[in-house]
Amino acid sequence: MPAIIACFKWVVDEAYVRRMASGELDFSSVDYKIGEYDRNAIEEAVRLKETLGGSAIGITVSVPEATKGVKDALSRGCDQACFIADSSFGNLEPSQTAAILAEVIHSRIQSFDLIICGEGSSDLYAQQVGPRLSEKLGIPSVSFVQKLSIEGGKLLAERRVEEGIEVIAAPLPALVTVLPDINVPRIPGVKDTLMASKKPVVTIKKDELQPLGEACLQTLSITASRIERTCERFGTNAAEISRFVGSLRKTGVIR
Amino acid sequence: MAGIWIIAENREQTLELLRIGGELSTKTGTRLSVFLSQDRERARDYIECGADEVFILPPLTEDQSLDAYIPRIIVEAQQDVPDLILIPATARGKDMAARIAARIDTGLCSSCMALTFDDNHASFVMERLAYGGAAVQKVVCTTRPAMATIPPRTYEPADAVKGRQGQIINLPAHSPSTVKILEKKVKERESKDITESRLLVCVGRGVEKKEDVALARQLADVLHGELACTRPIAEEYHWLAEELCIGLSGAQVEPDLYLGLGVSGQVQHVTGFRNAKVIAAVNKDENAPIFKAADFGIVGDLYDVVPKLIAELKK
Ligand SMILES: Cc1cc2nc3c(=O)[nH]c(=O)nc-3n(C[C@H](O)[C@H](O)[C@H](O)COP(=O)(O)OP(=O)(O)OC[C@H]3O[C@@H](n4cnc5c(N)ncnc54)[C@H](O)[C@@H]3O)c2cc1C
Ligand SMILES: Nc1ncnc2c1ncn2[C@@H]1O[C@H](COP(=O)(O)O)[C@@H](O)[C@H]1O
Repeated sequence: MPAIIACFKWVVDEAYVRRMASGELDFSSVDYKIGEYDRNAIEEAVRLKETLGGSAIGITVSVPEATKGVKDALSRGCDQACFIADSSFGNLEPSQTAAILAEVIHSRIQSFDLIICGEGSSDLYAQQVGPRLSEKLGIPSVSFVQKLSIEGGKLLAERRVEEGIEVIAAPLPALVTVLPDINVPRIPGVKDTLMASKKPVVTIKKDELQPLGEACLQTLSITASRIERTCERFGTNAAEISRFVGSLRKTGVIR
Repeated sequence: MAGIWIIAENREQTLELLRIGGELSTKTGTRLSVFLSQDRERARDYIECGADEVFILPPLTEDQSLDAYIPRIIVEAQQDVPDLILIPATARGKDMAARIAARIDTGLCSSCMALTFDDNHASFVMERLAYGGAAVQKVVCTTRPAMATIPPRTYEPADAVKGRQGQIINLPAHSPSTVKILEKKVKERESKDITESRLLVCVGRGVEKKEDVALARQLADVLHGELACTRPIAEEYHWLAEELCIGLSGAQVEPDLYLGLGVSGQVQHVTGFRNAKVIAAVNKDENAPIFKAADFGIVGDLYDVVPKLIAELKK
């Protein structure tokens, strides 16, 4: 009975990040969510356990406010969750996140068959935590997987690279990072949400962990990128269509 | 300073890394080294394009991927700690970079789009996108070596200087990885390179079915442009090739005209064409974010608007 771990991050919904006149980012009206591609990671873990038996464990390193995200992961089908929470965990760098995950998985979960990460987190999109975590745990890893199965105690995966697809076999336990087209994440219903409240959550605090190393990458600044466009609107009647084409021609980009 | 390393994958991207690596090695007065799989001919090519030394890694068997080189590179990096390691931001490159960084406990700037050397602090200042492209994050690595993965076409390829000399060094073999390739399915590249196109008509999820992509193609044809698409069109629906996807995880393009059809304009997509000369869009939702990123927007149903546009352009 395999134990499958899904790593997910609770992130700022980037659609709500605004630019202030000063060029700084404005987070005043943001909402949070489980990273887009981490939903695929959770879904894949849940599907695997549904076909193979065993359990799916959701794990996140986050700020204490992410209880909502933990509940969301449980609603999406994880059997239990591991919530590593501290108010200083909102701005970790990939090397630190991977170190914390490795320590907790190594000391608390111990026996597992597969770790599934998303292709990248929705906020940083560093695409590092997965492969870093596999090295910290000393297990094989396969990134950018679009299809996977566990057969005969082995991982079989289709990994997408620039020239096409590599079909790969690796011994377990292993780690994969999955592409968004591996599955379509389910949308939790009322019943799933109710059930989620009854599932076990292990919360781990910062003082239960080894002292956290310094960030290897130091952020000097984060500034909003600028999009300045004329934003002219057009309708759909004949006159408007011809005005639209006329405007394009005037810019010289079409003849 | 112990030098700048480039881990080579394909030639095109290695030449681009040799351009930036060469500039930085001149500036910092260090050696520029390339790690390369097997090919001595290629090694001489890279030396002419600016490498001072090329380390040749022994050939891989059919069932081994580039990641089998990771242990060797780690050993070398621990012996002779370089200042900077540059790796192309390809699927294999990104994976390798993160794993090497983890093993040598250092920082990695993923998908780095600008890289300079700051004399005052003797550090490499690197820029990348965050929040789907809504922000630019400037970072420095506090540990050595600094590492960066660099997306294709960020830099011009380095120029060759005929007869330029350098060293070629063979590295010993390594034990094979437990990860085995069972099969490689190579796909034919069927589409044009959209980064070369001046006019792009981009298909989004507002296009309802695969057959309707033909409508977008007709419009592209009258404009003498090419088709491109959003990520779901390529990856979820597989209606168009992956290399036609524009955005954070797709291609970065700078056409004269980007025209989006049924594209919502989420930041990860818009990031890919923000430097287009002119941005235009057709979307039936007047609140779609694409209209904030566009010069000219038509609020309407693409099935109504596109035939009208084609007729008007043919006039
Ligand atoms: C880390 C990360 C990286 C990503 N990288 C990329 C990337 O590189 N490239 C990319 O494209 N996406 C990327 N995405 C996905 C991105 O966030 C969006 O989900 C995607 O771009 C949306 O594609 P879309 O506009 O085609 O579809 P939708 O968002 O579904 O938009 C469809 C639009 O069509 C309009 N519409 C519907 N019917 C009609 C009609 N008949 N006529 C006119 N308009 C109509 C709707 O109003 C809607 O606005 C990434 C996401 C994440 C989390
Ligand atoms: N704080 C976190 N907690 C748990 N998993 C994470 C966290 N950050 C990143 N991950 C996982 O690592 C993947 C890659 O993240 P990143 O390297 O930030 O792009 C994500 O898709 C998640 O699966």
